[in-house]
Amino acid sequence: MTATPTTAAEVTWAARADSASKVYGSGDTEVHALRGVSVGFESGKFTAIMGPSGSGKSTLMHCMAGLDRLTSGSAFIGGTDLGTLNDKQLTKMRREQVGFIFQSFNLVPTLNVVENVTLPSDLGDGKIDKDWVHEVIETVGLGDRISHRPNELSGGQQQRVAVARALATRPEIVFGDEPTGNLDSRTSAEILDFMRRAVRELGQTIVMVTHDPVTASYSDRVLFLADGQIVKQMEDPTPDSVLDTIKSLGD
Amino acid sequence: MLKLVVRGIRANLGRLALTLISVVLGVAFVSGSFVLADSLRSIFNQISEDAFAGVDAQVRAVEPELNSSGENLIRFDESIIADVQALPEVEYAEGGIFAFEQTYSLLPDGEINRPLGPPVFTSSWGGPSPVSSFTIVEGEAPSGQQVALDSSQATAGGFAVGDMVTMSLPTGEPEQFQLSAIIDFGDGGTGGAYFNLFDLDTTQRILDAGDVIDSIVVNGGSTDADALLTAIEPLLPADIEVVSGETVIGEQQEEFGGFIDIFGNILLGFAVVVLFVSTFIIYNTFAILVGQRTKQLGLLRSIGASGTQIRLMVLIEAVIIGIVASIVGLFGGIGVAWGLKQLFSTGGNSFPDGPLQIQPRTVIVVVLVGLVVTVLSAILPAIRASRVSPLEAVRDGGRKERSMTFRLVAGAIVLLPGLVLLALGMFGDIDGTASRLTSIGVGAALTFIGVSMLSALFAGRAAGTLGIPVEATRGINGRLARDNASRNPQRTAATATALMIGLALITGVAVLTASLLATFDDLLDDALTADLFVYEANQGLDFSSSVVEQLDALDTTEDVAGFAIVEMFVDGEVESVTGFDTATGTAVINPGIVDGVAELSERGLAVFDETAADRGWALGTTVPVEFEDGFTTDLTVELIYDDRSIVENAFIVNRELSRQHVQIDAVAFVGVTFPDGADAAAARADVETVTNNFAQLTVQDNTEFQEEVEGQVGQIQIVISGLLVLCLVVAFFGIINTMALSVLERTREIGLLRAVGMTRSQLKSTIRWEAVIVSIFGALLGIGMGLLLGWAAVIAIPDSFISKVGIPWGSLVVYLVVGGVIGVIAAYFPARRASKLNVLDAISHA
Repeated sequence: MTATPTTAAEVTWAARADSASKVYGSGDTEVHALRGVSVGFESGKFTAIMGPSGSGKSTLMHCMAGLDRLTSGSAFIGGTDLGTLNDKQLTKMRREQVGFIFQSFNLVPTLNVVENVTLPSDLGDGKIDKDWVHEVIETVGLGDRISHRPNELSGGQQQRVAVARALATRPEIVFGDEPTGNLDSRTSAEILDFMRRAVRELGQTIVMVTHDPVTASYSDRVLFLADGQIVKQMEDPTPDSVLDTIKSLGD
Repeated sequence: MLKLVVRGIRANLGRLALTLISVVLGVAFVSGSFVLADSLRSIFNQISEDAFAGVDAQVRAVEPELNSSGENLIRFDESIIADVQALPEVEYAEGGIFAFEQTYSLLPDGEINRPLGPPVFTSSWGGPSPVSSFTIVEGEAPSGQQVALDSSQATAGGFAVGDMVTMSLPTGEPEQFQLSAIIDFGDGGTGGAYFNLFDLDTTQRILDAGDVIDSIVVNGGSTDADALLTAIEPLLPADIEVVSGETVIGEQQEEFGGFIDIFGNILLGFAVVVLFVSTFIIYNTFAILVGQRTKQLGLLRSIGASGTQIRLMVLIEAVIIGIVASIVGLFGGIGVAWGLKQLFSTGGNSFPDGPLQIQPRTVIVVVLVGLVVTVLSAILPAIRASRVSPLEAVRDGGRKERSMTFRLVAGAIVLLPGLVLLALGMFGDIDGTASRLTSIGVGAALTFIGVSMLSALFAGRAAGTLGIPVEATRGINGRLARDNASRNPQRTAATATALMIGLALITGVAVLTASLLATFDDLLDDALTADLFVYEANQGLDFSSSVVEQLDALDTTEDVAGFAIVEMFVDGEVESVTGFDTATGTAVINPGIVDGVAELSERGLAVFDETAADRGWALGTTVPVEFEDGFTTDLTVELIYDDRSIVENAFIVNRELSRQHVQIDAVAFVGVTFPDGADAAAARADVETVTNNFAQLTVQDNTEFQEEVEGQVGQIQIVISGLLVLCLVVAFFGIINTMALSVLERTREIGLLRAVGMTRSQLKSTIRWEAVIVSIFGALLGIGMGLLLGWAAVIAIPDSFISKVGIPWGSLVVYLVVGGVIGVIAAYFPARRASKLNVLDAISHA
């Protein structure tokens, strides 16, 4: 099934995939991680991708984020077909148009908070809206710690730095890979709240992979993957509705 | 447990292979030194045995206490030959005379035909006989105006049997000789030396020696060796002895063996230095490997492995590496020795061939050395591994480093005695340059270790500081490189240490060389006032004093002074004394007259000021002396001088006196001045008409003399530095290894950087600059240490040899750049590998 509404002409897509397929290995060991997924991520929306292990949710995100390449089909960020980019262009795309929040090990240990936040721009032309950077850091509540090193921060604080970094370049889209997977529920809630505010108040586009129904409930829309295909999607999820869906899919 | 060790080795094969290389290089050096020296010794032993195969006894002069003629032997009357030959016990006796250098064949263009390095021997030869050391390759024994030359000399000169060959003679009048034969020494080559053989009468004539010989070689036929000696003994005057053929062969072999031992020991010395550098690399690798396996070790501890077992595991790993490295190094060394031997054999030096000597001692020493060095270097990491607590299996990252206080104390404990020894060698009350330098050497080794330990204390800050310009010019790449270079000070220090030692030694040698040259420059300005010098530039050998008379007779020369080196008893002790043409000597050199008259009387003596002070002598002191021929007299101190740089000896006598009492009237050095306003070029041309007849002589003015010495010193420096470069190679592998391990450790970080937008070339640049910062840190430490060592050595070496510290600024800059370049090259493979990491794999790397 396709998750892209065909009628909404006024919708702008921050990123989308068109018949995206990904095959690992070959011959007997061939694994189809994605089987012709077509999906769009609307600008200014918070999308969660769920699915059991091996469902292809991480692969989908990696391919859409330009960290991995599709076997067939295309992935777009903005209007750019990632398949047409070479490694250098792809790197530049990640640097300028994509933000990342990983589950752990998000920060370069030798750089302090503000340096980690500006890292993508420093890797590029270094042009960055300083006021915006500070605003973002203030917003994630680390304004008084800008020159701390990662090892001087708690896990939750480190994730907040990661969020700030992802937002600092005002990317087309931010991808989160279980961004709160390593955090306790209270800290998780803080981070997720902040991510949702970034979408609502700043118009940021966020896509995150998660397996936790509560986490998914912070999003505007949940996509469910199984066996490399999108099997269901849900608008305005709640923890219970997500859980129910997971259960129903499991049957 | 062995299974774990094997798995561990297999998992880290690449790292360990690089470590292996650093051990292998050192071990191969040791093995090559042994095998080459043993093989050369065996070849030369064989030559001696071949050459003296038919010699049952040799009659010769008892080595006197005084021998000014040096290598040239003590001569005696030839009448003894007939007496010996007349004995019924004697089958065949041949008297001969021999000279070291003295005659040379000339190339068709008049240039001297001599080997580079090995000597040229002149000898009488009676043709093939039971006692002959030579075998004819082609032609017949020389007779009258004929000469026989060895095959390599004939080849070099393009001479064929029957050709007329111009020979330069010590008399200064070259003559034509017909080449009667091409010969070999013993059964094979001559080891690079040249032989000029004439019949006895001709040899005596051209050596200007009268009817004297220096040995009789005897074949006793069936006579028992002892009986032969007993029969000859009574015929001989007091100072002539007879020794058995075996003794002669033994002495020859001992003499060659001595040279080979020195050669072999020098090589071994370098091998030890290389091994010393290797230990730092091995230590570093093991330390990093243990660090990276902390979790695994913690797991092993938590499931019941004891600390001892863990320690044993690491040590067994070291033993396996040590054994493998030793074996590879053993064969590597044998290969290198073989290659060098082949090079000698085919190098046109007619080096005789022989089997490679691989003695059990070589194998045992090499394997032991490789093993001990590896295991020793792994002990500290092994102990650290055994201290990993079971909890660290579950704890994430955050290895705890040994406290800096411990390092400070331990480093100081090693460094302080090192510095004390250095200072003792420099300023201490130690007799003898050799023991001073030994003290400095041991002090240097300890200082290296101490500095290496202590450098961890400041490596972080130093790397951070060195990284400032990198960050300023390279932006974020530079920033990350700088941070990475300074984030693990212990590792940076250990990596830099290997480079430090290599560059410290090279810098030390450069400082010594520069100091030597600076001293020499000074000396030349002050001490040499001659317009031209005449001397034998190849080996500094004596030549006929007739050169002095002939040059003096020229209209275009003003003052001509010859300098002879004679051995004599001065106040009861054997001393090397300079014979000085006192009327003209101070016109060509300036010995730094402190007190007294410039012109010594015939019975005058000049004494170096320190020596005079030591002995309590002053002007007017009477000193008893005895010359080589037994002549005794009293000399009066008439001159005190303070510059021994040209007059190397502590005593000067009047050459008019000394020449009358030596066996061979020769000089070592002639200085010439031109009259004021003379046409220097014309005058020089005149001088050369004389010296051209002595093919071995070199004529040089001040500038040329200086260039010559600089060239020679430079060559020595190149050879030593060349051998020391091996240390840099080891350090280079060490840097590759550390960089590779660091990159591996930071896999996730690299993945993250790539994910958030670092390009491959940025990543490579980051790693490259990190290596450059570490290398430059090592290079700076090395250059600093090298300056210290060079300075220490200059202080320890007597002022008469090196009195001034010279700093080779240009070379230092080059070494710094070399350090940086080593970093760049060493970073290439780790950087390439890192840039090829798959971003996703890297991020999820455990």
